[in-house]
Amino acid sequence: MNSNKSEKSRGVVVFAFNSENVNYVKIANQTSLLIEKNLKLPITLITDSTEHIEFDYDRVVVVENKHDNFRYSQHNEIVQWRNLDRYKVYELSPYYETLLLDTDYLVLDDTLNKIWLQDFDYRIMEESFTPNGIFNRAMGMASHNWLWATVVFFKKTKHTELLFEMINRVQKNYGYYKSLFKLEGNYRNDFAFSIADLVLNGYTTDKTRYLPYRMFTVEDHVANIEYLNDKLLIRQKDRVVISPLQNVHVMDKEFLQSENFKRFIKDVTA
Amino acid sequence: MNTVVENLVEQIKQSTSNQINKKILREKTITDLHMVYGNGMFLISPTILSFVATWPDETLYLEDVYENPIEINRDEFLYNARLHYQTVMNTWHQKHNELKQIRKI
Repeated sequence: MNSNKSEKSRGVVVFAFNSENVNYVKIANQTSLLIEKNLKLPITLITDSTEHIEFDYDRVVVVENKHDNFRYSQHNEIVQWRNLDRYKVYELSPYYETLLLDTDYLVLDDTLNKIWLQDFDYRIMEESFTPNGIFNRAMGMASHNWLWATVVFFKKTKHTELLFEMINRVQKNYGYYKSLFKLEGNYRNDFAFSIADLVLNGYTTDKTRYLPYRMFTVEDHVANIEYLNDKLLIRQKDRVVISPLQNVHVMDKEFLQSENFKRFIKDVTA
Repeated sequence: MNTVVENLVEQIKQSTSNQINKKILREKTITDLHMVYGNGMFLISPTILSFVATWPDETLYLEDVYENPIEINRDEFLYNARLHYQTVMNTWHQKHNELKQIRKI
């Protein structure tokens, strides 16, 4: 057990490091409303910017973050991506039991609350599906599949501490791990979590460390999401996808910063 | 005339695929079929319901989705699992029918 065990035992942590293209704090303000409504847990924001914070967070942890990273957006443009230092969540989380969520994950039901009731060190989202089918998640042509750092449960145990130390090691020595695991592309938290999990489990996969169901991901452009008759109408460029009300990982950051998104949040939290 | 054509194109662009919507609904149903019992997580299926229903003893041990043997009180588990299964499957059936009624363009 970690000596930093918090009095508040359970909560959600979201990271928001704004980039040139995306104001993650503003997105977190909106998605936190969903977390609050559906999980009813305190939320801590970890950020390097105190501007635009509107949601009433349990805590705001301000850290310095000077790291930059780049990757292709879903619009095929190279964008700044300030995703480094996620491993620090182990120390920064004020909770003994933490649910680490990406700001682009929309919590629209309470299924995640079922996970708390079991014994575990950490549980990571393994698989995802999109309207087009199962998400292909190989880290490279000849590499392993990645896990999704979008949704991570962890408790402050010794094993989990090792996991985050390993993630730190992968981040700091990314060139080495990229070569060793034949990874393609720049650093991703998904890759770091996957490699750390793999190494910690003796270079094998252990399904008991993963969440038992798939994450719904919308990877393409989103024009709008409407909440109608208990359904989600996800309007894309050339089609409408109809989903029951469920958690959705929306990759289109442009949409998440739009007025349409704010309207959707208002409708679905009313 | 142009506006009519443009509107038509816009409508076609907004078409929806019943097959895709059905698959998304099924995934949600599978998620919802997971039930917590005695610190374990179970995917409630006809197999598990049949097995527990025919078990002769009051107490048994069942492996959950996380490969843990969980102590089960047969009657309590069966009651909860049946209720859970029926609720989720009823919702699936209802939502499935609603999807069928959504007209494809």
